[in-house]
This record gives sequence, C-alpha cells and structure tokens, in this order.
Amino acid sequence: MSDKLKDIINKQGEQQADTGLDQSEDIVQLVGFVIGDEEYAVPILAIQEIIKPFSWTRVPQVPQYVLGVFNLRGSVIPLIDLRVKFGLQPKKQSDETRFIVMRHEDDVAGFVIDRLTMAIRIKKENIGNAPDTINGDDTMIDGVGKQEDKIITILKVNKLLERDF
Amino acid sequence: MDEFQEILQDFLVESFELVEKLDEDLVELETNPEDLELLNGIFRVAHTVKGASSFLNFDILTHLTHHMEDVLNKARHGELILTPDIMDVVLESIDLMKELLNTIRDTSADAGIDVSGCVSKLDKVSGGTGEVASPVAVEAAPQESEEVAPEVPEAPAAEEELDYDNMDDAAVEAEIERLLNQRQAEDKAKREAKIAAGESVPEAPPAPDEETGEQTPKEEAPKAEAPKKEAKAVVPTPPPAPKKPAGGAKAAAPAKRTPAAVEQTIRVDVKRLDHLMNLIGELVLAKNRLIKINSDVEERYEGEEFLEELNQVVSIVSLVTTDLQIAVMKTRMLPIGKVFNKFPRMIRDLSRELSKEIDLNISGEETELDKSIIEEIGDPLVHIIRNSCDHGVETPDIRTANGKPSKGTINLKAFNEGNQIIIQIDDDGKGLDVDMLKDKSLEKGLITEKESDAMSDKEAFGLIFKPGFSTAAAVTSVSGRGVGMDVVKTNIEKLNGMIDIESTLGSGTSIKLKIPLTLAIIQALLVGVQEEYYAIPLSSVLETVRISKDEIYTVEGRSVMRLRDDVLSLVHIGDIFEVERILDESEHAYVVVLGLGTSKLGLIVDTLVGQEEIVIKSLGDYLKGIEGIAGATIRGDGGVTLIVDVVALMQMARDVKSTVSIEASAGAVSNEKTKASDYVVMIVDDSKTDRTIMRKALEPIGITLVEAGDGQEALGILKSGDYNFDAMLVDIEMPRMDGYSLATEIKKYNKYKNLPLIAVTSRTGKSDRMRGVESGMVEYITKPYSADYLASVVQRNVNFKSEFL
Repeated sequence: MSDKLKDIINKQGEQQADTGLDQSEDIVQLVGFVIGDEEYAVPILAIQEIIKPFSWTRVPQVPQYVLGVFNLRGSVIPLIDLRVKFGLQPKKQSDETRFIVMRHEDDVAGFVIDRLTMAIRIKKENIGNAPDTINGDDTMIDGVGKQEDKIITILKVNKLLERDF
Repeated sequence: MDEFQEILQDFLVESFELVEKLDEDLVELETNPEDLELLNGIFRVAHTVKGASSFLNFDILTHLTHHMEDVLNKARHGELILTPDIMDVVLESIDLMKELLNTIRDTSADAGIDVSGCVSKLDKVSGGTGEVASPVAVEAAPQESEEVAPEVPEAPAAEEELDYDNMDDAAVEAEIERLLNQRQAEDKAKREAKIAAGESVPEAPPAPDEETGEQTPKEEAPKAEAPKKEAKAVVPTPPPAPKKPAGGAKAAAPAKRTPAAVEQTIRVDVKRLDHLMNLIGELVLAKNRLIKINSDVEERYEGEEFLEELNQVVSIVSLVTTDLQIAVMKTRMLPIGKVFNKFPRMIRDLSRELSKEIDLNISGEETELDKSIIEEIGDPLVHIIRNSCDHGVETPDIRTANGKPSKGTINLKAFNEGNQIIIQIDDDGKGLDVDMLKDKSLEKGLITEKESDAMSDKEAFGLIFKPGFSTAAAVTSVSGRGVGMDVVKTNIEKLNGMIDIESTLGSGTSIKLKIPLTLAIIQALLVGVQEEYYAIPLSSVLETVRISKDEIYTVEGRSVMRLRDDVLSLVHIGDIFEVERILDESEHAYVVVLGLGTSKLGLIVDTLVGQEEIVIKSLGDYLKGIEGIAGATIRGDGGVTLIVDVVALMQMARDVKSTVSIEASAGAVSNEKTKASDYVVMIVDDSKTDRTIMRKALEPIGITLVEAGDGQEALGILKSGDYNFDAMLVDIEMPRMDGYSLATEIKKYNKYKNLPLIAVTSRTGKSDRMRGVESGMVEYITKPYSADYLASVVQRNVNFKSEFL
C-alpha cells in the first residue's frame, strides 16, 4: 500500500520536474549591470544578494582587483572590483555603485559594479555563443544575449569566483 | 550489516582505548612484576579483545590474542616469571594486535597480517618456560590462591595446580580453560543470585574480581546490545560463553547497569563539538559588538537611568558568554596523558636498543589540552624524547665515570601556566655543548662564521632545530638524520607555541614547550598601522615597548634595537603588509616583541589598540594561503581585522631589508626612465610669467612639467598621486601657502622624504637660505637666473641620464 503511494508521489514529482524544466528551458532570468561602458549579466540564481557599498578591509599581497574582505553578517567575504579585473581604471564609488554577492557551490564573493540595470528575462534561443575569438575554457564569457536594441555579455559565475593568482 | 558496523565501531573504540593503556601497564609490570593487579588488568584486556574479536569473526586476531592470553594467564598464576625476554615477545604481540586493529578499522577485516611467527614465540614462552618454571609455579601458586581465596572460595583451582608438573601443555591449557569457566560459572551464579535477591547492581567491583574473564565479556556484550535491541538476537555465542540461563534476569541486569554507566560519559561526534564551538564563536563576536555599542551609547546618553540597566544586561551576557565558551572548550579537552601514555614503552624500547639505562618520570598527565592540539603534540614529543635518549643521556659507564648515577632520568611534565600549557622535558644527560653546536652548524653550512660569533648561548641552542642539523656522527635507527627536531619546531610553531631550551653542559638539558590552550578563539593584541588594524595572537607576544625613532639602528641593512642585553631585529609591519605610509610624523614607535619557538622579532607598529578576544575565521578559498595572514576576525564595530600569521611573518621579515633601504630600492624601480619625458617636475609659482620662464628654460630637455599656482594647489596635486614627481621648483613668496610651509608639509610624508625641492626665489638673504635648508630644500636658485643654469640644476637633481640629451 505505502509502496504504491510512494510510486504515485514519485511520478507526480517527476511530472512536475518535467514541466518545470520545460519552462526554464525557454526563459533565462538574468540580472544586468554596467561596468565601464558595457552591460553584463549573470544568472539570477547565482546572486545571493545585492547590497550598497560599505567599508572593507584591505588584504595585502593580492592583485589590485581584489579590494579586500568585508563582513557579510558574520562571514568574511572577498571583495573584487570588476572594473579593475576587466582592465579599466578604478573609479570612485558613486551612489549607484553596488556590491553583488555571487555564489557558486561553496564559493562566495562580492563584486563591485558601477550600476545595476535590471532583471532580464531572455529566451534561450536569443543567447548566442561567445565570439569564436574568445572561446575556450578560460573565458569568463558564457554567451551573448541578444535583445531588441542591444546585446548583453553573460558572464560565467564559476569563472568569476575562481582564484586566478 | 549496519548492526555489524555499529558493533564493530564500538569494538574498535573500546579496543583502541584498552590497547593504549596496555603498553603503559606492561612496561610498568616489567619493573614491578609482582603487581598482580596490573597483571590482571592486562590479562583482562587481552581477554576482552579476544572475546569480542571471536564474536565478530576476526579469526587472526582471536588466534593471536588467545595465545597472548595464555602467556599472561600463566604469569598471572605465577607459573611464569616475566623476564625482559618474555616481555619482548608479549610486547611484540601487542604491536601485532594494534596492527590488526588498524587493519580492521580500515578494511573491516583482519586479513593480511601474518601472526604465526609471533604466535609460535608465544607458544614457546607459554609452553617451554611453563615447564622449566614449574617449580616456581608451585611456590607461587599458593601465594596467589591465598589472595584469591578470601574473595571467592575457590579451593579446586589451588588443588589442581599442584598437578601441573605432570601435565603436558595442551592439558594445562585445557585445564586453565576449564577452571576459568568453572569460576565464571560460579561467579555468575552468585551474581544472579544477588540480582534475584533484588540488588540492582552487583557490588563486586571489577578490580578485586579475579575472575576477570567473566567481568569483561559481560561488559562487552551489553554494550554491543545497547544500540539496538534486536542485536540481542544477533549475538551468537559470545566466546567465553557468558551463559544466559535466566534470560529475563540477565536482560534486566545489563539494563540496570548500563544507564548508570551511560550517565557518566557520552561519546559525542567531534563534528558536533566543532559546530558548537563555531556557534560560540558567533556569540563571542556578538558579545564584542554589544560591548562596543554599550560604550557608544554610554557616551551619548551619559547620566540616563536606563544606562545602568543596559550595563547590567551587557555584563551578564558577556559573563555568561565567557563561561559558556570555557565550558564548551572544556568539552573538547583531553588529558595529555593520552599522549604521554606511549612514552614509557618507547623509553623502554629505546633504552634496550641503545643499551642505556633510562628512567622516565611522568607528571601532570591529567593536564588538559584541546583535542586538535593533542593530535599535533604527539610527534614533537616523540622526537624530543628520542633525542634526549640518544644524545642527552649517556651510556652507564660514562655516567658512572662522571660521577652520576648509572641510570639516567628523563622527566616529562605538563602543567598550566595562565592561558598556556607548558610541557617540560628534562634530562640529566650531558647537556648541549654550545661550541660543538656552532662548529657542526658551520661545518654543514647552516650558519656563517659571523653569525656564529654573534650568537648567544640561547641562540646556539636553537641551532638544533635547524633542518639538516645533526650532531650524530652516524645515522642510527633512533636519530641522526637531522629531521626530527625540525619537525618539532614546525609543529610547535603551527600551534602558535614557543620552545625554550635551557642546558648546562654536563648536567642536563631542559626543553620547555609553551602551547596555547585552544585554537579557535584566541586572545589577540590589536595594533594599528596608518589606517589599518591587525590582530597578533597574544600567545606569540612577549612584550611591547615604546621607543623613540633614534633608538633604531641599522646594521647591515637591517633595523635593530637594543632591548636590555639583547639585540633585537626589527621590521615595520607596513613593510610586510605593503601598507602605504603617508603620514609619518611621530617621534615614537611601538615595538611588539614577538617570540616563536626560539626566535624573536620586533615588529614596529604605529599604535597599540589593546587586547581583545577574537574568533578566527578563514578567509575562504578565494583568498587562502596569503603569506603572513592566518585568517580574519570580525570586530566589535562590524569591521574585519586580519590576523597575523606570526610564523610566516617571521619568515617574511628575513627577506625585508630595513625600512630605509626598501624605500631606496622602491624609488629606483619607479624611477626607471626610458625617455626624457618620463621625468616629471612640478613648477610652483604664483606668477604666471615666472612659471612660463621656467617652462621655457626646461622644455628643451624634454621633461614633463606640471604647474601649480601656490602651495595648497601643489600639495593637492602631489597628494592626488597622478604624477610621480622627480623634483619640484618652489617659489618662496606665494599666497595661501608659502614655499617654506609647503616644503615642511611635503617632508611630513614619508613617501616624499627624498623628493628634491629646489627653491627659486628673489630672496637672497642668508637667513632665507637657512630657512630653506631647515624646511628641506636641497637647492637655492636666486632670481634672475640663466636658463642653462636652471636646466643643469634640475638635471642634476633628477639624475637626468645624459643619453636623453
């Protein structure tokens, strides 16, 4: 009796999972932000939170783009300036500056961005591969999202969180 | 299968505990062969392991322990005298037993280890000497049975022992087995009678109970049964067959017995304790925060009534938190005896191997240390004690020749001292010979002649910890590879501990290890440098001193200072952690004297903030392994403070030259010029005309020129850091800020100490020149001047390379 019940529940669960998959296959939800003149985006599920800038502690002997560490409700989290990481000149933080805290598996880090744009729903078919010239395992670019009036570079969160020094 | 695993786990935990004690007992037994109680204890262990292992079908282990038990049983009955040779066999078999237990732990089976050699040795001992020693047995037997008799009237046993002379080995064994069973049966019957009579717990305490064979398996059985009730059904026939006649009564007995035992101790997974410790860590952080907020509130609302209430709450919370922290820390504490236990056996083996006579006195084994530290401390101690045996204590003939007792003594003691545990290892051997240590180190190229001359005795003792150092002429199995003491140093330093050596030539060496009580929450000294703060583990801080800048000397490119009778090498924390030093006004500096192992270092900091309890947090995968940083902690104000890794810092300090020279070299790097326009010179003058004249004079050389209208503007440009100036041309008379004040301001910045300032002025008086020099000007050009003259002065001051001309 209970086995039967389990079977039914399992089947239901499978069906639900199937339909859920169908939905997510069509649409990808991203959060867009601006660094320098470019608009970038990361999957919304990789984002733990978005916070206003606050003070951090410098850490010695790290590349310039690692600003240091900050306290996020009791956890010590590294802070990375994406402007510097992308080879731009560092800029003073403004009212629009935000920290995006991203998570991939156990790795967490905060990223300084110039400005948030918006949450983006984009059809999967509108996402193209990264240009051939920057393809490969090392690229931080996951793909390019095409929208009506512009294109958005979608970043690989796991690459962003990877230590490369 | 799960049940089996569960039982197996219990079995392993118990066996390891028992075996650990076994070593110690056996060695003690060797010095004290008459101690029947000890012997019984040992027999009990062998028997328990045998019983349990046969129950779990570990045949090899059962086989081995069975034969071991035979030997011990004979000794127990006085049929065998435990000579050192027999002891060797027994100890060998115990080593095998440990090996088997390890194999079982790893593979859940006891295959793959050959015990036959050892078993046959054991057989020889129990069989061969059994016969030879039989006369002794006859004497000993009555004596033993007398001891037994008052407790349990056991006449038959004593009677039959007299017949052993005429029995062959097998028969003796069988007889013993039979007697044992008989005793067990009787004892069991008695106990059951007692239970039946309503006595909940059998009063017979384990110690005087000679029929231990009974006692232990019985304990074992209920333990195995406890986790699962069904396990009772699974239990086949426990080997020495604890009979279960009156099933009901028996089941009741363990049921009543176990709760009593369980209430005493609980085995808890270490992970749970770690988790608890983490939670406490969070609480401590919150507490620090609360205290900080409290003091802020106090300042703002001084005199308000509610403040007192708040104060009370805050102090209660902080008090309870501290207590809680100590309580949880204590749950993680283990007596250091756990580590000390293995040393009697080690000393025994070593002294036989080295043919020396060595006594080991252990004290303070009940001193408790955090589990993680206990795990780390074992290896260093082994190495130190081996070293004391091999290099410290002399051979008996040398000792007697030197008027010492032929038997050497090693004292191993542990005790608390403040927030630290001290483990002290003293030997009364030959002591350390400073000259010999220096010579050996020179020979091996570990130090230079100069270092050797400058070395104090203490520092020379520290040489024994250098990797590759060895005084032994030849590598023996005990020591001489020059690795061991290096391991000691690394491990102790890893624990933030310190090593202190004292030695008197000819009369002995004393090594003191100072180890912090726990690792997760530590006391730290907070120091400031410029705008940044760092936490230094207090256990590594020996003292702090305030010095004036001119007490710092430079010797061979290194900063040093005199600290009482010692010369202390200094390093600025800013040089280690790349802190940009902008302001450097104060005449005084604080030096934090760090001590680690045997070495010392003075760390120059700008300010001392104070002592605080901090919780160590990891920097995470992304930032792990940063040299000099051990982790981070969250302060009362919510900010993050980095914790200094003193071990790494000392290492790094060796590569940092003195502050002065590092600036010079840094300057050289940034001043690397590849073309004339790389040279940047600032012109500060309030007159546009004057600026243009200077520009016209300098432009032909091709250097980059930046203009400023007055002192304030010049300072602003300098601070912005947009340019890296090589020189400044400064007018004296200027609005807002004149040239002298500008020079004085600029010289306050450490970075610009060496920036050449050239005064360009129409003031020609001597006193003006003097003021210029006082404020830090290097050249004094009076208007009017020729263009060539100005250009040549500038070129000279910026070290202009001639090839650019």
